[in-house]
Amino acid sequence: MSLLPTDNGLWGGEPDSPLVAAVHLSVRDLVRRRLAESGLDWEAFVAGPIDRCITAPDLAAIDAAILATGHRYAFSATISAVERPEAYQGLAALDGGFAHPDAPTAPPDAEGKSLCGAGDNVVQAAADIEGIARYVRSAAQVIALMESGVPAGSIAIIDDSGGTLTAPILDRFAGLVCAGGTVRSHLGILAREHGIACLMNVRLAGVQDGDRIRLETSAAARTAESYLTGTDMPARIWKLP
Amino acid sequence: MSAPVRPAISYARLLETNQLIQACGDSTYWLCLTRTVQGSKLYPVSAYILLSYLNAFYRYPSLIRKVEAVMPAEAIADRARQMGVKAQNSSIGWALPCFYLLGREYLINLGFLRPQDALDDVITVMDFWKRFQLAWHRNDGHLTNADYNQRAQILPHAAVQRFAGELHPVVPGDALSVAAQRFLATVSQYGFLVSAESRISLTNSGPYRLDDDRQLLMRDFMDLGETSLPWLDDIAADMPYNNLTVAMAVTGCHFHLVDDWGSFEATPEFTPDRLTGIGLYTSDTLSEGHQPVGMDSPATLAAMLHDLSDRAKAATDRLWLRMAGWRRDQLIDAGALCYYAICKEIAHIAGVFDPADWLEIDPRAERFRPLLSDDYADQALGELVGSLTLPSQQTAPHGLMKWSDKPTRVLTPLPLSVLNGAPYLPRVAPPQKGGSHLPPKNDRYRTTRGVLSLAAYNEAARAFVPAACQPAANFRCETTLAYPGALA
Repeated sequence: MSLLPTDNGLWGGEPDSPLVAAVHLSVRDLVRRRLAESGLDWEAFVAGPIDRCITAPDLAAIDAAILATGHRYAFSATISAVERPEAYQGLAALDGGFAHPDAPTAPPDAEGKSLCGAGDNVVQAAADIEGIARYVRSAAQVIALMESGVPAGSIAIIDDSGGTLTAPILDRFAGLVCAGGTVRSHLGILAREHGIACLMNVRLAGVQDGDRIRLETSAAARTAESYLTGTDMPARIWKLP
Repeated sequence: MSAPVRPAISYARLLETNQLIQACGDSTYWLCLTRTVQGSKLYPVSAYILLSYLNAFYRYPSLIRKVEAVMPAEAIADRARQMGVKAQNSSIGWALPCFYLLGREYLINLGFLRPQDALDDVITVMDFWKRFQLAWHRNDGHLTNADYNQRAQILPHAAVQRFAGELHPVVPGDALSVAAQRFLATVSQYGFLVSAESRISLTNSGPYRLDDDRQLLMRDFMDLGETSLPWLDDIAADMPYNNLTVAMAVTGCHFHLVDDWGSFEATPEFTPDRLTGIGLYTSDTLSEGHQPVGMDSPATLAAMLHDLSDRAKAATDRLWLRMAGWRRDQLIDAGALCYYAICKEIAHIAGVFDPADWLEIDPRAERFRPLLSDDYADQALGELVGSLTLPSQQTAPHGLMKWSDKPTRVLTPLPLSVLNGAPYLPRVAPPQKGGSHLPPKNDRYRTTRGVLSLAAYNEAARAFVPAACQPAANFRCETTLAYPGALA
């Protein structure tokens, strides 16, 4: 088998991710085979044949080979799992409340409130806020809330750090709790624009739909420097009695 | 105007190109590490980003040559400075070179390229970018916002004076303040949706010092109307402006960071109560600079801001329902095309915009779609721009990369051994007939001269030279104006 010109690089190893490594090794093997089959040297091969003899079906076969090992993809967009349930881990991951293993928790204190999570505060406010937890994790839930209206005092609990899933209803929430992103993610930017209290990068456990919660929005806003240095600046979340 | 003659490959040219590549890599790492982590339950974001990088790699060089056959990069940048169109940050300042180079890096790792392949293309892209940036930043004398310690003083003094002089005062809690906050939030929300979960429909530039306690920040909202993004056809038919520029006077906080993505940070935080002056403008390729919108009085401006907010909110709901019904391939195409076409404004300015150039996925990129599961794309993109753990990104062990202190880099330089005769592929083939899973763009382009057909829009753009860009005016630079007796 021919070697590719970029095989055996002096400093490179393999990608960190086993999935990325598997895909890239498979693609590179495909390129090697097509180069050998062409009988061309690299200059001639890369000048045109590589665009014709490596096709979408070739690359789909690599995807199929990975699935044949039993691997199932984690989904980030719901549509991916909906369209290819055989290729993705189940949508059941969206059911129920968050149960992050690294969420800081503590038993109820003297006031009866129990620590159930923490995140990065987007904007420091004068006071903490309280509201009713309402998970929003799918387009169907958004459509339902567009039709019924968002109940006053709701705090959205979402795992989407973007600004699109909740776009039609975002401005109707009293607060936002997001399990992903940073304070500079799109959701954080929009929360700041709308003037909505927001914690990003939240680790949360034990909060169910309808629970009354308090967000420590009086905590300092997390800074860019803290992300660069890896310094945590937690704003806490409590479940209220 | 004719395209400048591109210098032949030389040691100096390669050194300069490699410096530009390194600067782009450093900037990419810093921006990706400190500015954002994105995720979306609606959009397969990483998948569309990787597809956009591939499309950029295969197509940008040819499209840049097509644009420069009509208008050189520095003239496009001069035009862009006179308006708030999408030819600034992040579109040109970061995305144009970095989308292209990240596509190249990805393909090197997949075994499709050697570092020297497409060498002529790499030089073309980086040379265009450099000349654009030099002209775009000519008033602050830097190549990028990062070079200027994260700020962008693009405007000349006269323009700052004009915007400052036309501001309507805002008092926290008054009618204009309420309208302004609602407008900024609502149109930002709309912009994120328009641009398929990206921030490329809005950007900030500045700050400009107004006095010891006040700074001026310019915010541009772009691609709001039924212009060149096909998913806004019909949806945005009643958005009366495609681009809006908001001049904001802010009291009591310092914008210590306005980055090459057009994001800002301020100390203390820029909260609505610190907005003390506002102006609203529109502009495009066909306008004589920024035209006031609703600026007759504070009351008319507040009414205009509410009207635009109402329109943007209604368009958001309509667009969201359209997108929520899309298939994965359609969501990926919208995102990939939105990213890839982030620099399409250069074609509008030059009057050579063609949907076949900017709104299609090239078959050479399209073939990779079956690989782009959410899982793989998330992890591959994370390695490419975050952890820098792809093989091509490892360097000699003594390396201490800027920002990371690790023996890594984001982007591979051009090998100098081509000067010794090492073989290389000069250029990839021109764009091939592509496609999209989305409906084709209709022939309606919202401009400051009304709704035009594409042919009319291109023709008008080619025929138009704003007064400020006529040579005599264009070269009356800040230094010239500072010495009227010597140079004016």
